[in-house]
Amino acid sequence: MDTVKVLLIDDEERFLATTKTLLDKRGVKTFTASNGVFALKLLEDNAIDVVVLDVKMPGLDGIEVLRKIKQRFPLVEVLMLTGHASVKSAVEGLRLGAFDYLVKPCDVSDLLDKINEAHEKRAAVEAKIQKAKIEDIISHPLAVFDKKNN
Amino acid sequence: MEQDRFKKTRRMILVRALLPAFAVLMLVCTTLVYYFGIYSRDRVKAEMETVVRGHLQIIDRFLEERAADLRLTSASYDAAYLSEDKNLARVLRNLQAGSNAFFDVGVFDKDGNHLAYVGPYDLAGKKYSDAPWWKAVKEKGIYVSDVFLGFRNIPHFIVAVRGGSPEEPWYLRATIDSMAFNDLVESVRIGKTGEAYLVSKGGLFQTKRRSGGNLMDPDPDFEKYESGSNRIETFTAVSASGDKFLFATGELKMADLVLVVRQETDEAYAPVVGAVTVASAIILGGGGLVAVLSYILASYLAGQLSTAERENRQMRTQLIIAGKLAELGEMSAGVAHEINNPLQVMKSEHTLISDLLSDAEEEGGHIDADHLAIIKDSVDQIALQIDRCKNITQGLLRFARKSESSMEAVSIQGFLPTVVDMVEHQAFLSNIKIIQELDPDLPSVMSDPNQLQQVFLNLLNNAIHAIDGRQSGEVRIRAGRENSHLKISVTDNGCGIKPEDMEKIFLPFFTTKPVGQGTGLGLSTAYGIVKGLGGEIDVTSELNAGTVFTVTLPIEAGERAGG
Repeated sequence: MDTVKVLLIDDEERFLATTKTLLDKRGVKTFTASNGVFALKLLEDNAIDVVVLDVKMPGLDGIEVLRKIKQRFPLVEVLMLTGHASVKSAVEGLRLGAFDYLVKPCDVSDLLDKINEAHEKRAAVEAKIQKAKIEDIISHPLAVFDKKNN
Repeated sequence: MEQDRFKKTRRMILVRALLPAFAVLMLVCTTLVYYFGIYSRDRVKAEMETVVRGHLQIIDRFLEERAADLRLTSASYDAAYLSEDKNLARVLRNLQAGSNAFFDVGVFDKDGNHLAYVGPYDLAGKKYSDAPWWKAVKEKGIYVSDVFLGFRNIPHFIVAVRGGSPEEPWYLRATIDSMAFNDLVESVRIGKTGEAYLVSKGGLFQTKRRSGGNLMDPDPDFEKYESGSNRIETFTAVSASGDKFLFATGELKMADLVLVVRQETDEAYAPVVGAVTVASAIILGGGGLVAVLSYILASYLAGQLSTAERENRQMRTQLIIAGKLAELGEMSAGVAHEINNPLQVMKSEHTLISDLLSDAEEEGGHIDADHLAIIKDSVDQIALQIDRCKNITQGLLRFARKSESSMEAVSIQGFLPTVVDMVEHQAFLSNIKIIQELDPDLPSVMSDPNQLQQVFLNLLNNAIHAIDGRQSGEVRIRAGRENSHLKISVTDNGCGIKPEDMEKIFLPFFTTKPVGQGTGLGLSTAYGIVKGLGGEIDVTSELNAGTVFTVTLPIEAGERAGG
């Protein structure tokens, strides 16, 4: 399996720095963004597998960022981090297509487990897509050329 | 204190509402009874006067008739004819045929010599020129004497008339039995003690008095009679027997006699006294009953009022508490987020340190300088995050502290920034700027900082909610002095308040937030607190432009305390 590429989005700079150190150490390629706009730019430039997103952020609200990510990068799995005791925002996030949520404060090991789960799911989905494409090509080989002609 | 207020309220109700009505009622009743008494007394007197008047008329008529009989006789015959005994006897028989009260009859010449006499006495030839009746009849032409006891002890009186011409007068005299009107007078009975009798002008009884007093005896009460005029007099006097009587007296026209009707006042006025007593008893009893009922009613009303007031006070307190709890609940979600963020940082640092320490253990306790520097940095970071948590919990404690209204000098320059600090982070998360414009030379106000904090926290939270989700949100908090008041306004450029909601925003449980997100207690609590502190809270708002809440607080003693 390739190295998992993770993007951390949170407004706490220190949390980003330390968590990046910890995740890097555990073999996860980690990118960080302290706001939604920068995060979307990073997503465009890098093939990110999993996003860890703080729901409550200034600027672009966490939920809004989630919506944009799911819109533009539907295959990217999103893990939500929430500081709220209530699961209200988490439920909304799940409805919008987030993979799962974690309540702050959470362990790095828990975070890592969830990241791996999310990555596995993403890998499985990609595998399915690959398989579907191959089957498509096998059943209609000429279609490959059609596409190319288009 | 409570009891005092109750008594005061009760007294107020009694004095202002019930006493005037009661006083008027009593006055009316008393007046009615008074005039009823006077009227009834006059009626008793009038009845007595009627008795006197009626009897006087009867007696006068009787005397007039007898005098007319004699006058007719004197006009029909001359002295010479009547001087014959047999003629006079026939005249007497004629007179007795008209009225059997005639007893005897005599004829006298102009010098008072008895010319003839028919009757049981032997009076013929006697001279009467010195007798008082003679002098009177000579002068007036007619005379009616007082009563005297004559032959056979029967009461009699004399009627004399003048006959003939003025140059040659002669006189006719008759003795008349007075039984006819004596019976009439003596038979008068009014109640148990009411009686009537005749008295001569000389003070002698002319009829028998039932309660004591024989014919011709002197009347011991005579001097008390108020007579002399032709009117009938009524009066009260104490008789010789010591009893108090109501008297009515009147004089006869035909004779110098006084008719007296009298009744013991106790008996005469008994019905009046009875009626007045009963009426007074009813009024006093009724008044007493009304007074007792009024007292009970006033007590009941006062009780109700104090209960209502106490409940109102409790309600206000409960509302403040409920508002505080609601604020607390709303805050707690935010607070959880606020605390969980530093906790998350600390957890990460802790994991990092643990990692480095286990690395060091694997290398036999050796730790390199790089890692040591990282650990040091992490520990510093943990300390920093602990401070952050501490600030949050302290702010929370300040808010949740039990607030017994304790007035103290509050410096607004120092106070408002601490409140702003509590919502600053929330505002930052919502991308809202909070701008403070506090006049530099504001006086301190005498107020309760805990309650003020609740008010401004609520206003600031509302402002932040109003802006939430909008671009370039701004909350402006201004404080300035205006005469003896301090004006603090919280202005936002948020969604504004709908005109139809404006009058409801201070009502408890009114909220525009979705179900479960607002309790509708914040502003009502703030309103209650500001009013309680002697201030005012006003609002102006424009839909989709923003809202201004203005709190006006009295400076009062604050200025002196603040120097």
